[in-house]
Amino acid sequence: MMALQPVSATLFAYQVGFGDCFLLRFTYSDQSTRHVLIDFGTTGLPKGAADAHLLLIAKDIEAQCGGQLDAVVATHRHADHISGFATAANGNGPGDVIRSLKPRLVLQPWTEDLKLAVDSKGPAGSAAAGRLAAARSLREMQQVAEHTVAALDRKPNYFNRKIAAQLRFIGEDNISNASAVRNLSTMGRKNVYAYHESDSGLETLLPGIKVHVLGPPTLHQSEAIRKQRSVDPAEYWHLQSRRAADIGAQVGDGGPVFADHVIAKGGKLPAHARWLAYRMKQAQGEQLLQIVRTLDKQMNNTSLILLFETPNKKLLFPGDAQIENWSVALSKAKYLDLLADVDLYKVGHHGSLNATPKTMWNRFSKKGKASKPGRMQSVLSTMPHKHGSEDAGTEVPRIKLVKDLQSQTNFHTTTALGAGDLYVRVDIKV
Amino acid sequence: MTSTANTRKLTILAQDPSVKLGGRIAFAQVDVPAEVLSSGPVGHRVKVIDFDASANVLYAPRTFGRTQVEQDLDPYAPDEKMTAAARKRWEERTLADPRFHAQHCYAIVMRTLARFEFALGRRVAWGFEGHQIHVAPHAFFEANAFYSEQDRALMFGYFKSARGDRPVFTCLSHDIVAHEATHAILDGLRDGFTNPSTPDQAAFHEGFSDVVALLSVFSLKEIVMAALLGKGKVPPKGKSIRLVNKSALTRKAIENSLLLGLGEQFGAELEGARADALRRSIKLKPRPDLLDMPEYQEEHDRGEVFAAAMMQTFLKMWLSRIAGLGTFGGDRYNLDMVVEEGAKAAENLLTMAIRALDYCPPVDLSFGDFLAAVLTADAETVPDDSRFGYRALLRETFADYGVLATGGKIDPKTGQWASFDKGDLVTYSRTHFESMLHDKEEVFRFVWENREMLGLDDRCYTRIESVRPSVRQAPDGFFLKETICEYVQVLNLYAAEIKAVLGIDRPDGMPTTQRVTAYGGGTLVFDQYGRIKYHISKSFQDSDMQSARLQYLWDHDLLEKPRSARHRFANIHRSRLGAEGDA
Repeated sequence: MMALQPVSATLFAYQVGFGDCFLLRFTYSDQSTRHVLIDFGTTGLPKGAADAHLLLIAKDIEAQCGGQLDAVVATHRHADHISGFATAANGNGPGDVIRSLKPRLVLQPWTEDLKLAVDSKGPAGSAAAGRLAAARSLREMQQVAEHTVAALDRKPNYFNRKIAAQLRFIGEDNISNASAVRNLSTMGRKNVYAYHESDSGLETLLPGIKVHVLGPPTLHQSEAIRKQRSVDPAEYWHLQSRRAADIGAQVGDGGPVFADHVIAKGGKLPAHARWLAYRMKQAQGEQLLQIVRTLDKQMNNTSLILLFETPNKKLLFPGDAQIENWSVALSKAKYLDLLADVDLYKVGHHGSLNATPKTMWNRFSKKGKASKPGRMQSVLSTMPHKHGSEDAGTEVPRIKLVKDLQSQTNFHTTTALGAGDLYVRVDIKV
Repeated sequence: MTSTANTRKLTILAQDPSVKLGGRIAFAQVDVPAEVLSSGPVGHRVKVIDFDASANVLYAPRTFGRTQVEQDLDPYAPDEKMTAAARKRWEERTLADPRFHAQHCYAIVMRTLARFEFALGRRVAWGFEGHQIHVAPHAFFEANAFYSEQDRALMFGYFKSARGDRPVFTCLSHDIVAHEATHAILDGLRDGFTNPSTPDQAAFHEGFSDVVALLSVFSLKEIVMAALLGKGKVPPKGKSIRLVNKSALTRKAIENSLLLGLGEQFGAELEGARADALRRSIKLKPRPDLLDMPEYQEEHDRGEVFAAAMMQTFLKMWLSRIAGLGTFGGDRYNLDMVVEEGAKAAENLLTMAIRALDYCPPVDLSFGDFLAAVLTADAETVPDDSRFGYRALLRETFADYGVLATGGKIDPKTGQWASFDKGDLVTYSRTHFESMLHDKEEVFRFVWENREMLGLDDRCYTRIESVRPSVRQAPDGFFLKETICEYVQVLNLYAAEIKAVLGIDRPDGMPTTQRVTAYGGGTLVFDQYGRIKYHISKSFQDSDMQSARLQYLWDHDLLEKPRSARHRFANIHRSRLGAEGDA
């Protein structure tokens, strides 16, 4: 009997506003299909979307895959990638629908391995302890987000409106979604926690397709994922998360360090101190924003980067990976070569500044003029004006990148969908 | 009675609360410029306001209020006759008093500023409008401290110790305060050094601030003495000569005791958070290819290379001065003399470094430019370098770290800027000597009149950044008087135009519609007769420079990305202290 070969791939890029939700279907030579759901989350639905929009999507996924998902991939823990996996008390949440599709495999990055906490008995300083500390600290860092959002609720006028809005957006994206996390860890028949060059577990489910895990690197594979040097990783991560959590907890009403020397409180400052006090509050808001952004970026850097390679085509799904995550793969010539002829590119991190590395973009050989045969396809799931700012050149999606995508690839974006459209569909012969 | 004192003594921490010398926390009394202070302290250059944004409260100021400097006694001056137990109680009480923290910050900022004014022979303005810089000693709960131009402030954070819940105050670190103050001073002297440019320029701000902080300590002689003796007690000053064994004076021993040792303990508080970064540079082994290595492309890491070259130069200077001293019994030295030589070497090097700023180009500074500037500035005041050979030492040590004073406008023999040689072509007649000493409009007229000869590009918007007098006393007792003028040229371009305008290729992948700002500029040094002595320029039409700059900014996504002055230093310092920076 001839080995089963994929003949086509179909990508459904669902309209989730600011978030990602991709259903990837491979159709085989015997007309059978395999379905992989890559992320399902949002932090901002488009205007006019129904309350039950995510449920609608979940039901559509159910219909598209015929009630059976082969795999679920949750690239990383951010709400805009996993909030759709949350279950509801009445058993009718979008996550309940996905769970009912009995995925054979749930694939997540190594940092999501919840068992690390109980299994690891490595001595301090060992690789296992470092991994444990890193995974645990990523979870603890979500406390920073929680503290920050709580502080904004408690003191709505403490920071200026612009800073407060950005803090809230990033804060809410980073808040732990316990229901989704739990559902992901238990819904699959098998769980795989992958890292750079590890097995994805997908290949046995997708005959004829090679799946390369390009990221995230482990701590040993990359010191660049965190800027640590000559420090025991376990200790380092512990310190970072603790320090950050403390900062988040103290916005605007940490106890004074010199209680006996307080001469005035915020609202009743003497005239000579007011100008600087106002400026310092804004500076503090910006500081906090920078910290929350850095944590946000670190979480993005735990993203899985998957390359699906069929006999003739390559499909790249990098989640929200930023340059530090990419750097390990891109430092190796074999991956630079492997990536050079990508056919379909899921645009990294909703089109942000640092998620499409220039070294990779410049080498994409299938991009080019509209007339180019076999021209590269790109798919972007995003919503403008939610993240970053044009003034600072950090807007998402980055206008410059979108222009390049438009001019050099067959560009598909969820922002082009009309009201009521559920997804963008991209077909590709593989 | 009118006060006649020029300085007053104030108590500070010579390093930080965790550094103990001879079993005592290293407090020191330092001279700061005398002035009648208001409560804060608030003086003519510094305004301390102790607001804590995390707690949203204002702490009590260090009070002043006497009309005579002499009457405002330092309440924190230690009583040298205290018993050990009383001293310990006094130390605890003082460190827990935010008013002492305020005094400590004030004194170090003023001392650092005075150091610059002494070297340059003029008042030095801050880099913002106004005369007083705000200092917030307990600005917020974060392991960070930074200079913010837009807030006209130095902000010092505090955080919990890695060893427990005890608060650690960045404002109590001598080095951190001196480092931040130097950023503010440097920004006042050279505004253009904070513009996005080559990696060297950004790194210079960091490295230079480290060097000022590190070298400042050597004037605190009792501290240096105690550090040299390590666990041994400093003998009291008396009739007999105080001695130190030569084993404490090897290069390695000094590195460990004074350069690395002092910062070690505070670093431990921040375990894993790189608070010892300031001193880590000393460990950097020289390699001529260091600056080409990927790990030294980021500004703070690259700044360490600069600091390493400077501190190793200092060490060599000191050791060569010690070698010139007589010994006692062949293996011991006069401790006072040894420390005195260290103080002199540090003072000389710091003075050379500060004076060099006047001889730097106003844009796109490289480490090599700075080296040429130091060599030139020093040769102007001390033409004969044969006694200590400082200049040769500097060149040699910088070369070990891959920094060379070479290039078109540098004399390859001396490493100094080439003298201006187009004197015959300059038109002086349409400007007035007296106005040229201080008036930007007059200097602009002069520059414009001579634009062709100076190699300016008249398509650019050109402006005079500064006109400053420089007065320095040479070892022969005479004063060297110069006028230092900086001009900057700016042109906004689209990438499509850069080949035609700058003669350089567009970096790979840069779209034609990318907006690019190109800079050029120069420093004109006029002698006491108002004639150009040096023209230290980064010509707008220098295609190699423009190309390197553009490539770097493009590769690092710094084009068109405005960075607020607040963010700039905050991010760098956060990543040094806690690895939380915006990469």
